[in-house]
Amino acid sequence: MILIIGGAGQGKTDFAKTVLHQTELQSGAECPLPALMQASCITDYHLLVRRLMAEGKAPLAFTEQLLSQDPEVVVILNEIGCGIIPVDETERRWREETGRCGCLLAERAKAVVRLCCGIPTLLRGSL
Amino acid sequence: MTYLITGGTKCGRSRLAETLLQQHDGCNYYIATMQPYGTSAQEAIARHREQRAGKGFVTLERYTRLDTVQVTAGCGVLVECLGNLCANELFGTEDPDHAAERILAGIRQLRQQAELLILVTSQVGADGIAYPPETMRYLSLLGEINCRAAAMADTVVECIYGIPVALKGVLPC
Repeated sequence: MILIIGGAGQGKTDFAKTVLHQTELQSGAECPLPALMQASCITDYHLLVRRLMAEGKAPLAFTEQLLSQDPEVVVILNEIGCGIIPVDETERRWREETGRCGCLLAERAKAVVRLCCGIPTLLRGSL
Repeated sequence: MTYLITGGTKCGRSRLAETLLQQHDGCNYYIATMQPYGTSAQEAIARHREQRAGKGFVTLERYTRLDTVQVTAGCGVLVECLGNLCANELFGTEDPDHAAERILAGIRQLRQQAELLILVTSQVGADGIAYPPETMRYLSLLGEINCRAAAMADTVVECIYGIPVALKGVLPC
């Protein structure tokens, strides 16, 4: 599993396509859950977390399942925790759950890459 | 030589950019993109003017159309900042659909004219907030401009609480 992180608009998807040669990108916001379990690359994992929460599912448990069933997946996850902590509980919990899933993904990943201005920085592992 | 300096707010981007410009011998331009609307903009402009005072820069105020700026060949140019320029190009009187092209054309032309080009930009879009569509459009434009400018730059620096970290190239100081 390779984890690609960074803020919005930093070139994460381009990196997955050009450097990691990913051609089949599944949107975490929309793709049916069973299909995600076999995906080559999942984009917008933070929106998948939000969707799972809205459906009453546990994002961390889903992530564990994904890691065991789809160990070679490339996951693209936006960094969303760098603003003011929201007053709204749903918003707050979404950032927390996303953070927890991000930590789990990073811990298990063979490589973690952070994109900033289109420039990749390898935070952990090797590609 | 082209530098792109990014980072969050109040992280030392301007200070680094001005230090780099000061080290360049010859005519040096400071292109200011912030429009003087509102108290906080006026305060920021006053603070930056004070910080620049006595450094011998020629200040040009240019809120849009970087591509129409003419500078002396071989000069040093600091553009501050791409975040403001993107907002002005997107939400002003210019055609928003061609904002990216205008900005990139301006950067390319300045690179050709200047010996040293320093672009200061902003790091936004990591707070998870679903903003209204026009703001999301701004985030997307600034992200694209940052990626394209970084690809052109020799050195890309992220400032983190005053600490410059080289993401590409080598830190000069």
